[in-house]
Amino acid sequence: MASEHIVKSYDEELRKLSNTITEMGGLAESQLAVAIDAVVKRDSELAAGVVEGDAKVDQLQRDLDNLAIRLLALRQPMARDLREIFAALKIGSDLERICDYAANVAKRAIALNQTPPVRPAYALPRMAHLAQLLVKDVIDAYVARDADKAYLVWTRDAELDEMYSSLFRELLTYMMEDPRNIGSCTHLLFMAKNIERIGDHATNIAEDLYYLVHGIPLTEARPKGDQSSLEIITPGRSRE
Amino acid sequence: MSPTQAAARLAMPPAPSDSDAADPQATSRQKAVMRNVDFFYDSFQALKNISLPLHDKRVTAFIGPSGCGKSTLLRILNRIYELYPGQRATGEVLVDGENILSPGLDLNLLRARIGMVFQRPTPFPMSIYDNIAFGIRLYGRLPRSELDDRVESALRRAALWDEVKDKLRQSGLGLSGGQQQRLCIARAVAVQPEILLLDEPASALDPLSTQRIEELIAELKADYCIAIVTHNMQQAARSSDYTAFMYLGELIEFDETERIFTHPKQKHTEDYITGRFG
Amino acid sequence: MDIYTRRRIANSVVMSLSVAATAFGLMWLVLVLWTLLWNGVAAITPALFAQMTPPPGSAGGLLNAIFGSVVMTLIATLIGTPTGILAGTFLAEYSRKSRFGDVVRFINDILLSAPSIIVGLFVYELMVVRMGHFSAWAGAVALAIIVIPVVLRTTEDMLNLVPNALREAAAALGSPKWKVIVMVSYRAAIQGMVTGVMLAVARIAGETAPLLFTALNNQFWSTDLNAPMANLPVVIFQFAMSPYADWQTLAWGGALLITITVLFLNIGARALASWSTFKQ
Repeated sequence: MASEHIVKSYDEELRKLSNTITEMGGLAESQLAVAIDAVVKRDSELAAGVVEGDAKVDQLQRDLDNLAIRLLALRQPMARDLREIFAALKIGSDLERICDYAANVAKRAIALNQTPPVRPAYALPRMAHLAQLLVKDVIDAYVARDADKAYLVWTRDAELDEMYSSLFRELLTYMMEDPRNIGSCTHLLFMAKNIERIGDHATNIAEDLYYLVHGIPLTEARPKGDQSSLEIITPGRSRE
Repeated sequence: MSPTQAAARLAMPPAPSDSDAADPQATSRQKAVMRNVDFFYDSFQALKNISLPLHDKRVTAFIGPSGCGKSTLLRILNRIYELYPGQRATGEVLVDGENILSPGLDLNLLRARIGMVFQRPTPFPMSIYDNIAFGIRLYGRLPRSELDDRVESALRRAALWDEVKDKLRQSGLGLSGGQQQRLCIARAVAVQPEILLLDEPASALDPLSTQRIEELIAELKADYCIAIVTHNMQQAARSSDYTAFMYLGELIEFDETERIFTHPKQKHTEDYITGRFG
Repeated sequence: MDIYTRRRIANSVVMSLSVAATAFGLMWLVLVLWTLLWNGVAAITPALFAQMTPPPGSAGGLLNAIFGSVVMTLIATLIGTPTGILAGTFLAEYSRKSRFGDVVRFINDILLSAPSIIVGLFVYELMVVRMGHFSAWAGAVALAIIVIPVVLRTTEDMLNLVPNALREAAAALGSPKWKVIVMVSYRAAIQGMVTGVMLAVARIAGETAPLLFTALNNQFWSTDLNAPMANLPVVIFQFAMSPYADWQTLAWGGALLITITVLFLNIGARALASWSTFKQ
């Protein structure tokens, strides 16, 4: 990578910034993993742990913001350094949202566990694992400052969007079949939406990383695979 | 120098434009172009094959480590190096299409068209009024009232009038550093140059005075083509529209300032501006 | 003993030696002034300035000598100052680094410390022998030859002190070289140059040897520049060596006069220099 700054403390502070992001990224991955685990195992204690753990991430983001502001004020960063700090601010914000969504999933899991299990619940973990993979890949890309890897994550979000669309249709169908399922299915719907949003935030991180490395934004429009907003379902007519 | 050329120096300057001639969106024409310029101090080559444009009504900044040749480059533009034997420049410098390095050129007129302000404020040992009038008087006699107008106009242009209008007869040496530098700027604009060369104009000044000078540059750029050499990268970033990065006598990169300071093309440039070498 | 004590002792020793040396030097100056005052104050009477040099035995004054000294000094200054200034300007503004400039500077330094008697002999050969008689003109010329190197040197030094940035600033406005020199360099260096002239005048005020060969002396009042003219240094020489008491008194008076003049010129030059730096 590029050589060191003449003022060594500058390098240390930038490293600290980077490490905070990495730490937040690790937490995001694990929060999501545990939340999905809680859904699969119907374990409310596990879920509660995730909800509590969200506070740590919030604190990390505050620390990150403070460090970034400090660097901006005191170091007059230019070019790549400026992009590093700018990217760190944005990625930190995205990671904090990802953890919020993971916590939301955990909260809904607790609610879901009050009701008997429903069939579409089994589709959720598959979606979540993909989201988890996207987050992991994008954080790995960040650590390596690898813009190509970031681009791959950016394209795979379409896959996640498709999974969400099909789960959406399945849940709607399920709710139409039996109104007693509406409660659980609604929870599942929100959880699926949260996971889809996690994927979007992972994509944001990928875009920020690309800008960090190359200095120009990813100008192509993100391929949108989520058709759910265009879906029209007529009640009373079964799709099977 | 012909009478008409001398008379042009004495004419009343136009009011400072508050149009958006400084609008960065408006495309500006190139006031001066350097082509394949080399410079030698005796046998030592200080500048190697420099080619770059200077845009009219824009500020072009020159940055680079000590000894990279940026001041040398500036001093080619008004041929002030010719005061010293053993220094010579080759190549072409076209100002409005005319090569100013050609041997038969009237140097005094050239230096009236291309003014210079130096690093250390250099007020002449005379009154403030005479300091400004010095340049004007070089080109002819003016009736007293007109001369007063020119002096006032130059001092206003340099944002110094209000501070000195009651002490025009006092020595220029009695002013503070920042005021002296603005006096030098007023002196330079009094002869109605087309291009202003500023060689580290604020490096000897305190931060407040520096900001005043930067504000002045921002105002002046609406009417002049300005080239500024600076050690202070933040100043170059704040004040200029184009930036040239030089190293060891070569032009490494020349581009719009925004580009240079957010994502420069050359790694060398990035290393310099991020403080990875200096 | 430890290093600090050793250093302190060394410091005290050297300090004492320096003070002693200074006192020794100053003591002689004080002695000279005191001797002059003691012996010469008796001669400072209105008659000193009103009457001519007398024959031995009668009362008189030094008017013709004072007049002669003033006239020759003035003419020497008028000849030597412009020459010295212009030459100094040439060296400082036009040939700071040239071979020729170095040669001129070298010659000037030699002239600066040339024994004044040599100068006198030279002018004797050049003017007195050719003209066939001593004259005030020859005296003035000899003094001028002493003035020129002093003025040249101080002018060059003062002009060299003017920062180049000032010249560049003037040139950058489109000013031709002569205007840069006259309106900027001279103005910046004027205090120093005036000081230099004053010091040159102080120097020639007391020069005896050149006048011995050129203006000689004149017992009577004379305003004829083509004839020998009385002057203070030669009069002092003549009167001090004589056995006559009143002549000796007059000699002391003349010596005191010259000393006071030189003292005032030197003090004035210093005061001017410090006033100008204070003003800036």
